[in-house]
This record gives sequence, structure tokens and C-alpha cells, in this order.
Amino acid sequence: MSEQATVPARRHRWRTVDIVVASVLGVTFGVLFAVWNNVVYATVSAPLSGSPAQPVIAGVWLIPAVVGGLVIRKAGAALYTEVIAATVSMFFGSAWGMSVFMSGVWQGLGAELVFALLLYRRWGLVAAVLAGGGAGLAMGVYEVVVYVSTYAADWKLVYVLSAVATGLVLAGGLGWLLVRALARTGALAPFAAGRAQSEI
Amino acid sequence: MTLLQTHLSTDPAAPLARRNPVAKLAAALLPSLVLLVSVDPVSSGLLLAAWLVSVPAWGVGWPGLLRRLWPLGLALVMVALGNAVFTDRKGGATLLEAGPLLLTAESLATGLTAGLRVAAIALPGVLAILTIDPVDLADALVQHLRVPARFAYGSLAAFRLAPLLAAEWEVLGRARRARGLGGDRNPARALAVLGGRLFALLVGAVRRGTQLAVAMDARGFAASAHRTSARRQTFTRADVALIAGSVLLTALAVTTAVATGAWSPLLS
Repeated sequence: MSEQATVPARRHRWRTVDIVVASVLGVTFGVLFAVWNNVVYATVSAPLSGSPAQPVIAGVWLIPAVVGGLVIRKAGAALYTEVIAATVSMFFGSAWGMSVFMSGVWQGLGAELVFALLLYRRWGLVAAVLAGGGAGLAMGVYEVVVYVSTYAADWKLVYVLSAVATGLVLAGGLGWLLVRALARTGALAPFAAGRAQSEI
Repeated sequence: MTLLQTHLSTDPAAPLARRNPVAKLAAALLPSLVLLVSVDPVSSGLLLAAWLVSVPAWGVGWPGLLRRLWPLGLALVMVALGNAVFTDRKGGATLLEAGPLLLTAESLATGLTAGLRVAAIALPGVLAILTIDPVDLADALVQHLRVPARFAYGSLAAFRLAPLLAAEWEVLGRARRARGLGGDRNPARALAVLGGRLFALLVGAVRRGTQLAVAMDARGFAASAHRTSARRQTFTRADVALIAGSVLLTALAVTTAVATGAWSPLLS
């Protein structure tokens, strides 16, 4: 019984396995981002940068925030995972330097804020999609300030809206599918996300 | 395809490369943050020029730096073009008109300013990161910024898995190849195989992370109340000077921009 009584108090404390797995998720996505940067980026992303179509595929950058939040289910997990992913891709040869880090912080905060507004109690598809949208909104606003700062106002709006759309679909939807598939492999056994799956 | 680019060789004894990682990050972050406020060619141009001049002091060779930065260069051109096309400042002589596409002298200048600013925002961080060792960074974050040690070293432990992940990526590719997968000309099938390979990498990484956490806990990772550090990071006067220099340069660039009337805040 004493075990159960301590559960609520410890709900927000990060266990070692939370820290390490959130970090590992961040590192894995960071490595994939590095591959993207070094292989795909120059042919796919770079030619689009500076155009209103740029955010459409940029939703890929937001997936770690959603996946980190859904897997770890702790305050700060979305922000932490996204920042680790950004930092790792920075160390493995991103040409963008610390603007990657700043992007990671804003994008993570966007998703984190949504999970916080849901009181860290909702981890389903709706929460995932909303968190993806929050991250997309944060990304859109930040990139309007940095990359397309001299756009006409209505084009800035188009840019932000397409960032939100890609966040909802690519980060939210795809991120949720990814976590569900991860849970089905049994790899998430130490987490609530893995247990919720096995009950069904 | 290989997963990770080989590390760019830098001279660790160069005067700025030897500085404390936290000092480097602070010095690089400051101009990038200040430049977010305004879009003007004067502050961006001055700061970009100052940081370009500092490149040899970081111990980074120009050929290596250019090889690393060419995607940024390509993106900068596109950022400049995009801003020139989608801006509403279309005064001056018309340079190009094709349907809805309109480029004028003023819009081109606007686009170039936007590109210059992105370059000035990115460069300081590139130089700082190229010369920072992740282990030093984790030590410095814990010792100088009081970042919780569990998080700093937990993420460092995960970072050490990156080469393993790269090796695993190769193994997964060969295993799929041996089963006749992955050689497709059909892009849809190739994408499906790639997706499976990525997912397998992620599952393997999570499993490895779980085992790593158990191993770390078994060695008292979370339990230690009084943690001592094996590697001391020093924060010297030279580190303070680096940050002060960055503050001074940034202030100088902003003052010049305001004095010449070029300073134009985004929110005004």
C-alpha cells in the first residue's frame, strides 16, 4: 500500500530510465536529422528555404517533441527531447550553428505548452495532434522572425499557417503512429505508454 | 549512405578554441539573439564581418569551414530570393517581371538584407559548436551553470551511443539487403524499406537506452547526493574577456545601426 501512496508524489519526478530514454530518442532523431542535413537537405530542403512552401516538410523536425512527450509522459519531456535532438544534429555537422538550438527550444516549448495546458494528463491522438500543432505554430512564428522577416504580412500568415498544418499532420499524426508502433514492439515496457497499449 | 559526417579537424590550441564551452556559447548566442530584433544591413553586416575576421582565432581552417557551410550558402541564396519575391516593398526600378513574379531594385535589396541577417545569426554558433567537445560541454554546464547532473550526464551517455547507432544503421541495411530488400528502383518501395529500417533503428535505440539506464542505476547514477567531478572545467579571465568582447561588438553594431538610421525593429 505504501508503494501506491508514494506514486502521486513521484509522478513528476524523472527516473533514470526516463532521462536516458528521452535522451536516446533525442540522439536518434538528432542523428537522423544529421543524415537529412548531410544527404537530403541540399537537394530537398535548401531549394525551398525562403519560400512559403518551406514549412511543409519541416514538420519532420517537430517529431521528437511529440514522441518524447508521449513516451515519457513527464513535465518537460517534449522540450527536453526536442532540444537534445537539435543539439545532437548541431554537433554532427549542421551548417546552421546555434540557430538550430534556438529552433529546437522554441519548437519544444510549443509542444510542451500544449501538454501543460492538458495538465500532463492527456496522451492520446488528440493531445499528440494538438502538441504537433503547437510546435508548428512556434516554428512558424520563429522562422518568420528569422528567415522570412521581410515577407508581406499576408505571406507571413500563409507561412505560419502551413507550419501549423505540417505540425498537426506530420509531427502530431506521424508522431502518434510512431509511439503506437513502438509500444507494440514491447520496447516501451518501462513506461506508462507501453502499459496502456498492452491493456487493450 | 553513411550516417555521420567525419568530424572537421580544428586546432584545439587556437586562442578562442581553448575557451570554456559555456563562455563560447554565451558569446555566440548573444549576437544571434540581438539580431532577431531588427532587420537591417548595418548591424547584420558589421557583426558578420567581425565574426568572419575571428575565424582564424577559432583554429578552424577556411577550406574545411567552406566545405561544412555550403548547404548554408545555398539556403542563404534561396532565403534572399524568397524574401525578394514575397516582400511587399516593391519600389524602385523593375528588374524582372513574369506573371505574378516581380523583382525590383528595392525588393532585391530587401531580400539581400534578409539573407545577410540569417548568415550573421548562424555564423557565431557554427564557430562555437565546431570547437566544442560534447564531454567538456556537459562538464561545464554542470559546473558553471548548475544544470542538474543527472540530465547533463544522462544525455551525454546517450550521445555516446551515436556512433553505435551509425554502425547499427549499416547492419540493418545489410540485413535487409541480404533478404533481397532495399535495392529497389521503385521510389515508393524504396521509401517503405527505408521507413522500416528507420523504425528498427529507433526500437533498437530505445531498448539499448533502457538497458543503459539499468546499468547506470546499478552503479549509483541517481543515488549520489554529493557528486564530485573527475574533470574540472576552469572559467578564467580570458573566458570573461571573450564574453565581454562579444557584448562590446554587439553593442557597437547596434549603436552604429541606430546612429545611421538603419535600425528597424521587426515589431514597430
